[in-house]
Amino acid sequence: MVIVLSVIAMISAGILAQVYSITSVIIEENQARALESSVFQVLPGTTKVNIIRRSADELGVDDPKEMREQEQTTSLIYEGVDDADRVIGYAFVGEGNGYGGSVRVLVGVEEASDEILNVKVLEHTETPGLGSKIEDESFRKQFVGKKVEDPLKLGQDIDSISGATVSSRAVTEAVRQGFDDATAIYRGGK
Amino acid sequence: MASLWKDFVRGLWEENPTFRILIGLCPTLAVTTSAINGMSMGLATAFVLICSSALISLLKRLISDKVRIPAYIIVIATFVTIVDLFMNAYLPELHQVLGLFIPLIVVNCIVLGRAEAFASKNTVIASVFDGLGMGLGFTWALTLLGSIREILGAGSVFGYRLLPEGATTFGIMSLPPGGFITLGILIAVMNMIANRQKAS
Amino acid sequence: MNLFVILLSALLVNNFVLVRFLGICPFMGVSKQVDSAIGMGLATTFVMVVASAATWLIQWFLLEPFGLPFLQNMAFILVIASMVQLVEMFLHKTSPGLYRAMGIFLPLITTNCAILGLAIMAVQGNYSFIETVVFALGGGLGFTLALILLAGIREDLEFADIPKPLQGAGIAFIIAGLLSLAFSGFAGLV
Repeated sequence: MVIVLSVIAMISAGILAQVYSITSVIIEENQARALESSVFQVLPGTTKVNIIRRSADELGVDDPKEMREQEQTTSLIYEGVDDADRVIGYAFVGEGNGYGGSVRVLVGVEEASDEILNVKVLEHTETPGLGSKIEDESFRKQFVGKKVEDPLKLGQDIDSISGATVSSRAVTEAVRQGFDDATAIYRGGK
Repeated sequence: MASLWKDFVRGLWEENPTFRILIGLCPTLAVTTSAINGMSMGLATAFVLICSSALISLLKRLISDKVRIPAYIIVIATFVTIVDLFMNAYLPELHQVLGLFIPLIVVNCIVLGRAEAFASKNTVIASVFDGLGMGLGFTWALTLLGSIREILGAGSVFGYRLLPEGATTFGIMSLPPGGFITLGILIAVMNMIANRQKAS
Repeated sequence: MNLFVILLSALLVNNFVLVRFLGICPFMGVSKQVDSAIGMGLATTFVMVVASAATWLIQWFLLEPFGLPFLQNMAFILVIASMVQLVEMFLHKTSPGLYRAMGIFLPLITTNCAILGLAIMAVQGNYSFIETVVFALGGGLGFTLALILLAGIREDLEFADIPKPLQGAGIAFIIAGLLSLAFSGFAGLV
């Protein structure tokens, strides 16, 4: 009976390995494409995205868990370039704590003026119909034109969505934190 | 044929997993913030249920009594992972919304329950019909719950706007409390209908 | 992340039962009496802590280094099922009193989606070992708290005059809804 069980387990593992090898390619492509199109949205005019990725040596970690952690945070900066290879701006990810979990945003900053061009909510688990309004243009456009020197604080220069203060604050914090981290890396690096 | 029909309709009403037997409740409440989410979750579960019921029924002679539960779990987990991977590849947006509750189909009592109570004792064909009935019974329950919550919470159903823009909606219906209360009231309504059927 | 924040979040703000909708079946099934609610809650908490520690080790020392993420679901559920068996055997041998109190609940715990959900969430959240254990403790105690609250109210309802169709599950869900409403007051606490 143990043999039957192990045979079943082995067959399952084999099938899953097959399915995984087929789907993982598509999943990765999807994610890459989704990210690319997000960068196009926050940096209008961009036609190509370069990832400014810091290598494992630079990060100083080789543990897969820590590596993943690092990659998920703001250590990645996306450089948006147009057809003439001119750098339009940089996009980076920020994260804040919302009502239903963490909220991840992508912020696009123009190379020439250092101003925010657009903000896009990448991932959230906020309440549909309430907190999900953070995706609306009317809320996001408040960030446009802001610089890293601006307060970027809810109630000061950003108005909260009524009934969704926690979600609004999460986005604001995410933009603030992403902006700070990216500025530190970007300005520190150049 | 008549008995197959009976196996099929049983899950739709008489032994409806959601309203009559009250199992598989976690996804029922968690993903029914909108009609489309409820329906997709129902269909994903139905797929796992039909496939695993068929396979378990096929393997019932090979699997001895002592190891049957781990064997069922392996079969179910395999199908769940297949659904999870394919959804992630071809329906990434839906996959993100349903999130955690896709892998959790594996512990949905409906799937293991039908394997143990029906598929392990019946023919493959009968098990498929049973799985189909239970799966669709689960799907219509989730779709109904999702529709009610979407109409009251966001004023739309399947994304189509029913109430005019700016009409007052009850945001609470999309929140966890709304899920519990809607399901409680729906169960009461279903009880009333069932009692009436019995009386007549 | 701060351990206290993780504990508080799992216990109250993102209560597994009332906010995340995990473990609803036992929540409805074993909440008719306070005594059995306490037994079920503590048994579940115990299994949660043990199982999440085991799944953490499997994820980061087996699945991740060998590139087998697609076996996660199967490995986790089998580990949880065997953990439940081990706990049952251990209790049976060492403490018959505790076994009598918790024993009947143990087989039900395997299919409690709160445990598998917790294990997966701990991996997705990139929690460290200690964080995972604290998260499990908070989640389990939150489950126990919700169970005791509902059981306490349902005991008093024994003598109330409830319309017939609402009796049993119907009214229990509505009460759970009100409890959930009360718990939403904790949102934004962390």
